[in-house]
Amino acid sequence: MKVTDQAGVSWRFILGTLALAVLLEQIRWSGLALVLRPDFVLVGVLFWTLHQPARIGFGAAFFLGLLADFQDGVVFGQHAIAYVIGVYLVLYLRLRLLQFDPFRQAAQMFPILLTVQLVVLLAGWLAVSPPGGLAILVPVLGSTVLWYLVALYMRLWHGRGLQDKA
Amino acid sequence: MGTPGQLMFARRLGSTAHLLIWLLIGVACMVLDTRYQALEGLRSGFSLLLQPARQFMRAPIEVSSELSGFFTRHRLLQKERDALLAERAVLAVRLNAANEVARENTELRTLMRLQTRPGQQVVHAALLYQGHNWFSQRITLDQGAAAGLRRGLPVVDSIGLVGQVVRVYPGSSDVVLVSSLEQLTPVFIERTGQRGLVAGSGRGQLELRYMPAHADIREGDRLLTSGIDRVYPGGIPVARVSRVSRSQSSPYLRVACQPLAGLDQSRAVLVLVAEPEVTAQ
Repeated sequence: MKVTDQAGVSWRFILGTLALAVLLEQIRWSGLALVLRPDFVLVGVLFWTLHQPARIGFGAAFFLGLLADFQDGVVFGQHAIAYVIGVYLVLYLRLRLLQFDPFRQAAQMFPILLTVQLVVLLAGWLAVSPPGGLAILVPVLGSTVLWYLVALYMRLWHGRGLQDKA
Repeated sequence: MGTPGQLMFARRLGSTAHLLIWLLIGVACMVLDTRYQALEGLRSGFSLLLQPARQFMRAPIEVSSELSGFFTRHRLLQKERDALLAERAVLAVRLNAANEVARENTELRTLMRLQTRPGQQVVHAALLYQGHNWFSQRITLDQGAAAGLRRGLPVVDSIGLVGQVVRVYPGSSDVVLVSSLEQLTPVFIERTGQRGLVAGSGRGQLELRYMPAHADIREGDRLLTSGIDRVYPGGIPVARVSRVSRSQSSPYLRVACQPLAGLDQSRAVLVLVAEPEVTAQ
């Protein structure tokens, strides 16, 4: 429970990280980098849902999901539904997730991120057409690694701040 | 706990209820978008929102590649310039011949009272963004309605056909690649002149459909657009046949092709702006 003090994080910081995530996705990734690219926005949303559930939740996830739909040129709602389900899973497992160190937390996040991606796959399949292969599941690995790095960074940075205050 | 003016034991909606509400909204979005195309306004809004961000994020990457290219590639650039000059000389000769043929052609067409072919304008565009290609392969160009682009226009690079404009925003446009799933292109085989239909199979490949088993087609044959659909002008290279196989169950040949154009690798493309009757499929 060390990381989750409600007071320590400002709105500006939360929105800044989410804006940074959106900006990172606007880079023209191509080739293998595009296939492996972690879903920065999804990781950002789920991270803040975990640590600041009163501020970032379903609404933000839905909106950013629509943005992801626009980016990939797919039908609106596909990523939005998946992100919302991801938020629900994180809220459901929140107390459990918060007990783990970054590495184990990332390992626990893997099935959640995988579920989100499977929902994207399924929604697209039902709404439009079968996808061209299972490459859709590859970014889950990148997202999990990103989650680990972010959690590690936040734990070190935030933890030191707390110790200084104490 | 309870602040004044707030119910102390008021129940808030649980997360499951929230989930259900948002899922309903999401499904409504999908239905509105697929059945009624009612969310194009939202798409334009997002494009206006993200356009500056994409332009902005393009700058640092281009600067870094410029910098790394500046020092190492001088020799390479000289070589490339020499090659281009040589190519230009060859092209100039061909252009003269082509002009002559075109003049002759218009004369013959007027003699035979055929309709003259429409003139072709081009719009230069650069690759601005590329999304994931799980469901459809498409790229975003940095030119849009402001440059005179419309839905349905063909997009080519220096080698061949790239795709077709499917969505136009004020400052950008989406192009669905020729290799995208279910994207159909009418072609003819350069060697024999036989017409056919090329369909994208996803994953950057194409297949030539409905070729009878006795058709004369070999590996290495080039496929050019036939122009009978009045969407693509005739004669643009599309693909090269990479494999021909017979299947027991089907009366048609199975013909796999490789697209010739760089598709998502080509950074600069041309959009061919023709007369306005052109419509998207």
